Amino acid sequence: MSIALVNPMNETAPESATAEPRRNALQGRKIALLDISKPGGNIFLDHLERLLRDRYGVASVIRQMKPTFAKPALPDVLEKVGHADAVIEALAD
Amino acid sequence: MPRLRLLAILQTDCPTCRLITPYLNALVDSPARVEAISQDDEEATRNFVRQMDVRFPVERDPGFHLSKSLGVVIVPTLYVLDGENRVIREEPGFDKGALNEIAVLLGHFPVATPYDGAPASKPGCTSRHLEPETEGTSPALNLHAPRGAKASIIELTEAVDPYEYCFRQFQDALPVIPPTAERVAKMLQAAGRSAQDVIARIPPCYGEATVEKIAANAVMAGCVPEMMRVLIPLVRAVSDERFNAHGVEATTHFATPMIVVNGPVRKELNFHSRQNVFSNVARSNSTLGRALQLILLNLGGARPDGIDMSALGNPGKFSYCIAENEEENPWEPLHAEMGLLREQSAVSIFAAEAPHGVSEHSACTARGVLKAISYALASVWSYRACLAYEALVVLGPEHVHTIHRDGFSKKNVRDFLFENTGIPLRCYNGEPGDGVAQRGLYKEIEVDGEPCYQKFRVPESIKIVVSGGTAGKFSAVLGSWSAGPRGSQMVTYPI
Repeated sequence: MSIALVNPMNETAPESATAEPRRNALQGRKIALLDISKPGGNIFLDHLERLLRDRYGVASVIRQMKPTFAKPALPDVLEKVGHADAVIEALAD
Repeated sequence: MPRLRLLAILQTDCPTCRLITPYLNALVDSPARVEAISQDDEEATRNFVRQMDVRFPVERDPGFHLSKSLGVVIVPTLYVLDGENRVIREEPGFDKGALNEIAVLLGHFPVATPYDGAPASKPGCTSRHLEPETEGTSPALNLHAPRGAKASIIELTEAVDPYEYCFRQFQDALPVIPPTAERVAKMLQAAGRSAQDVIARIPPCYGEATVEKIAANAVMAGCVPEMMRVLIPLVRAVSDERFNAHGVEATTHFATPMIVVNGPVRKELNFHSRQNVFSNVARSNSTLGRALQLILLNLGGARPDGIDMSALGNPGKFSYCIAENEEENPWEPLHAEMGLLREQSAVSIFAAEAPHGVSEHSACTARGVLKAISYALASVWSYRACLAYEALVVLGPEHVHTIHRDGFSKKNVRDFLFENTGIPLRCYNGEPGDGVAQRGLYKEIEVDGEPCYQKFRVPESIKIVVSGGTAGKFSAVLGSWSAGPRGSQMVTYPI
């Protein structure tokens, strides 16, 4: 005799999104740096910003910070970094 | 009395219309006739009736003639009509108080209880005939739908061992009871709610926790059907924004939800609050904790080999549930402190590390016992990290007896621990480390004559529960994850 199981797993399909094509050059681009507010993230991003400006000639750098690393980014932070050509996120301590 | 009629004007993709429909279904049992008008086309209306298990007749309103003649502005709008089709009550939007008044007017008992998961009120959408003309149609918004999809059925032939199948397919590390349709049906019957009601969306992946999905996981965990009345508020609690399961379930830290059960439900469902309370002592504690973990795993997607990134993990991720020993607690139990009545049953959750034991057999005074506990509290997170963390102190009954004998109230206990938990200033002169860079924010106090930084931000950072057996002078300290509005806050939900 066969038995019927009720599927206990999540069956709602996740939203799909396609990745942006890879940027081949940074020259003249607008780059966003997102600090998730873990200790040390600002040191890493300060250094990265100098490199991007001095060595790679980016047009502008947008700096944004999440109020806490423990929660998802707020919509206004996402909206601001969304105007950039690329985003670099500083993740860990 | 002439027979009354309840007429609801609905749209198939309006979240508020979807919210109100189960309540209208309940009113079908009233002496009045219940019917609805859909402002949408035949196919959308047919799908709506099927998806929502609509139990009353639904007609369409092509050209919106009826909507216009009634002067509908908002959907849903409920009209109560008398025997001569006169409107004797008109109620736009969703409002539990108004719904209950209408139920009574129709000769039914109230249908909307305060804690059924729906908000007290919710505004509706604009009536179709008043919508601005737009090109094309917008897709139905499903994210906040109060009704979810029906779970799929997995048919296993005789040749397949269902236990092995569950092991392989559901990928949990322990065996589970196969969630057969019959077992899930028993759970649903005990829940007394529609299988497709969405109780919450479970972080971090926001899977839809319908009553049916919760029931299937409860079966797997070995819960008795009556446990559904605890599990439903527990699922709401774990999805509460303040608890922040999104962070708790994904962090590299040790934290996992630790459940504290309070009130009469402890006796009604045989929750255990005495010896071995953190262990494998009672079916209710173990299966409730396990059901929550399975729900976080299977519906929330917090896989320990994936999104759950905990570096060392926590044995509580198998099951982590205690009941308060209210009989040995001379003070207010936890749920009463969190604002509920003592006679009310409740579940609380705290994002906790594993218990850190405090053994203190020789101290004869409240001060002596509490000093031992304060040294364990000082080590929460890392010794020099202050202000950002909290702790749950589980006081064993023998310690409680000693403390209470010295005349300490629960407030005295909390204040003593707050004032006596400090980190000596000399500790900050050496190596850099967690909490050192923030020392400018810390408050300087004296503990036993030594200058210290105060460990906790406020006395309420220390949560106190009485639990465990009456033999043995032990307590436990459970450290938090990142605490407060920027991390995880303890939440308590009534059962």
